[in-house]
Amino acid sequence: MTGSQLIDWSSAGVPLLVAAGAIVALVVDAFWPGGRWRRAGTIAVASLAAAGSWLASTGSTGPIVAGFSWVILLSALAVVVLAQVLEDDATMPAGESVFLMLCATAGALTLASASDFVTLVVALELLSLPSIALVAMQRDRREAVSSAWTFFLASATATAVTLMGLSLLYGLTGTLTYEGVLVGLQAERAPLRVVTAVVVLVLIGLVFKVGAVPFHLWIPDAYRGATVPVAAFLSVVSKGGALAGLLVVLAYPFVALQPRWDVFIAVVAALSMTVGNLGALAQRDIVGMLAWSSVAQGGFVLAPLVAVAVGSDLVLTAPLRYLAVYAVANLTVFAVAAVGVRRLGGTSYAHYTGVARRDPLLGVALLMGLLALAGFPPAVIGLVAKYVVLQPVIVSGYGWLAAVMAVNVALGLVYYLRLAVVAFAPASRVLRSEVAASGATVREGRGTAIAYAVVVVGVVALVATSVAPTLLLGPLP
Amino acid sequence: MNGLVVALAVPAVAALLLVVARSLVTDLVAARVGTATSLVVAVLLLVTWIGHDGDGYAAEIDLVWVRALGIHLHLGMDGISFPLLLMTALISALVCWALVDHPPAGDNATPGLVGLVMVVLTAAVGVFAALDLLLFFVFFELALIPMWFVIARWGDPHDPVGRRTAATRFLLYTVVGSAFMLVGFVTVWALTGTLQIPELAERGDVLDGGWALFAACTIALGLAVKTPIWPLHLWLPDAHAKAPTVGSVLLAAVFLKLGTYGLLRVLVSVLPGPARDLAPWLGALGVVGIVVAALACLRQTDLKRLIAYSSVGHMGFVVLGIATLTEIGVAAAVFASVAHGLVTGLLFFNAGSLKRRFGTAEIAVLGRGLYARMPALAVVLGFACFASLGLPGLAGFWGEMMALRGAYEASAGAGDAGLGPALAAVLLVGALLGVLLTSAYFLRIVRRTLQGVPTPHEHDLDLDGSERGIAAVLVVAVLLLGLAPGIVMGVVEPSIPAILGGAR
Repeated sequence: MTGSQLIDWSSAGVPLLVAAGAIVALVVDAFWPGGRWRRAGTIAVASLAAAGSWLASTGSTGPIVAGFSWVILLSALAVVVLAQVLEDDATMPAGESVFLMLCATAGALTLASASDFVTLVVALELLSLPSIALVAMQRDRREAVSSAWTFFLASATATAVTLMGLSLLYGLTGTLTYEGVLVGLQAERAPLRVVTAVVVLVLIGLVFKVGAVPFHLWIPDAYRGATVPVAAFLSVVSKGGALAGLLVVLAYPFVALQPRWDVFIAVVAALSMTVGNLGALAQRDIVGMLAWSSVAQGGFVLAPLVAVAVGSDLVLTAPLRYLAVYAVANLTVFAVAAVGVRRLGGTSYAHYTGVARRDPLLGVALLMGLLALAGFPPAVIGLVAKYVVLQPVIVSGYGWLAAVMAVNVALGLVYYLRLAVVAFAPASRVLRSEVAASGATVREGRGTAIAYAVVVVGVVALVATSVAPTLLLGPLP
Repeated sequence: MNGLVVALAVPAVAALLLVVARSLVTDLVAARVGTATSLVVAVLLLVTWIGHDGDGYAAEIDLVWVRALGIHLHLGMDGISFPLLLMTALISALVCWALVDHPPAGDNATPGLVGLVMVVLTAAVGVFAALDLLLFFVFFELALIPMWFVIARWGDPHDPVGRRTAATRFLLYTVVGSAFMLVGFVTVWALTGTLQIPELAERGDVLDGGWALFAACTIALGLAVKTPIWPLHLWLPDAHAKAPTVGSVLLAAVFLKLGTYGLLRVLVSVLPGPARDLAPWLGALGVVGIVVAALACLRQTDLKRLIAYSSVGHMGFVVLGIATLTEIGVAAAVFASVAHGLVTGLLFFNAGSLKRRFGTAEIAVLGRGLYARMPALAVVLGFACFASLGLPGLAGFWGEMMALRGAYEASAGAGDAGLGPALAAVLLVGALLGVLLTSAYFLRIVRRTLQGVPTPHEHDLDLDGSERGIAAVLVVAVLLLGLAPGIVMGVVEPSIPAILGGAR
């Protein structure tokens, strides 16, 4: 295997730079303590910027992988900036938090650019373990610890299942590089049952990280236990990495087996969006709602994968485009939540009653973010994203999946709009809720101002891309 | 400068300004800004239409919007859309005028409400002008959320829970339908590779086969909810009854037309083959709607609900006209849509006036003898009732008459009709029965409220200020359309072949 000794620096450089940033953040914090969030954040931003410039100069293994890498990098950047709101949270030490976030980001980037299954598993763990640690960080909170335990157990089980599948795959093909597996699977007349088992077992680990049904139960639990920026991280960076990995695996080594897995993906996607939306309907807390909504959105991202074997560019770019829109919209809403924790004193809907009246920009950001997630004008970009993921589903002939998606678009609007309505409640309702939410501690500070800047950037991006969707879709492949 | 683009931009800018500067603008100024903006839109549309040279689409503009997806900013109007556009702008002006004298409850709430009306106007103009399927969809959806707020926030002040439920039900029904419509549009794109409506309408090879039928079914479903076609009308009575006058008028006059217009523009002209397969079903459901709505009207005790149900019946005639796929049927559909907008708008304005006075629109509470108690209001209400039941010489007559004529032609075996002779004959009889029942329930209203021994009420107060003006404008319009239907027909007729082109 001489090929494996060569390192493809163009794609390895990006995660390596991020990982280097992680180590620098940790070491600096260990030897010169007291720098707190501002210094750790600067290091993180610098390393992400370095990785970005590397990516811009060398490209990656392909335009799709490069696109995913950009989404992951920029989302990680937004999350790191957003994390500045944690500045006076004693349970979240700056150095460690940034270290873990950057490690997981490196894992997500590796997941996207991996070209053999061993790298894939390593990347999966590099993404999972720091994420679990981030959730567990608030060790004084019982909730956080129990969330982290659930997350850990589910994650370990999923990885074990994937490894089991990989061992079968190795037995079938004698190699674990993507190229070798592709050739091996095309050549081999392997027993049908074994191949089916391999596909399902290997995909489980990735589907778990995407947070699709039936492996979604850790998501609401983990989001509830984590701080808001960490939840934002899980919902965008972690999901994006897993999705990229899944797409590459399906489109490259497993493409020969397509009839085996497209039904699996279709069912998982349909269940995810339905269960996620039903779960979100019952939520009265912005983070809880976003947790379930991210399960549902995961279903929408997965849906176009049923058409991977059709092989047109459309099919490969659809999940990427959807993910990019989802990332912008979701991060905007999470930024509003992060600001809300500080300025309004909590994340339950009661805290947000009439927020648009007190702070119109926050209200508009919430409205645009939620409607973009729902796929509704005036947030046209969200509608375009829904259109983009419907295209491959129809092209591949999955009429029933398109129908399920249609019903879920309507279902999603119900709970997204509910929060928007709360935010735009008339003045008479605001007084009552202020009584209800009194006693909450309201903390201002530089960190809150920085998070507010993320809100502004998010709303500007959503408005601009709604007027001219090409701004977002043009640069993507 | 393209007149259509300006007509689209003006209300959008007005909406934005009103919402941003809502604390600086008084109720009166906001209402006047709304009226003026709508009138400007109407004038722009009229000037643009008169100025165009006659063939193709007036003020057509085609710019690439999203290159990666082939979505264009493609606008234009023809004889089908122009009457609806003009009616929409007129109704919007009247709705805002009504707010001049009767601002909604709440401190300085008019700027917000007028802002939402302006968004609805933008959306409606966009739907009627869009010549790109996705653009059509964007505008189709844009109107929904503002309408939710209009109903849920400014609806029936006596029933805060009910108005919210009604608003949410309206939204859910429409959104489920339109999400399916989006699936249909994607399917059309997958079959043809384009989203441009004129290009699709002019295609030589008619789309056919299972997927084309799938697309037609999903699109028809979305439009059927909006129109509404029985049995998908269940959102309508509550939404109309609980909405404020502004909302009821807009829903009836503008929103329902988005559905009927869509049936012509994106179902019949884009998918003529499958539309022919669906025509018998649409026609049958339309006639069932006519009869069921008329029967329901006979049992209504609330005036607003009654008018709402009568809309289902009128839309049944429109759908029947479309389903015949004859020239006269399509002409009937457009004419009846415009006439229904004016007549039902007038009915809802009157019902709103009564509801504001009495706090309810229950027929029993309104009492008898309105002719004696409030002569002007009663005369206008009576006029609107007669126009709505299709009295010859008023606007309501021609649409129904031509729809029946279309069904008759189909039953007489017109070769290219969408309905078979036997089915068309049955539908014709059903629709005629509906005409009779419609007369029955409107006459019941006239007898129960307008005529009889006057039962004076402390809130008896005749039409005042803007109410008089609005009534006058609509009465003149209804008379004009009734006495000179040619002014609409002359505009509509040249554009019909383009709609029916592929269906032949």
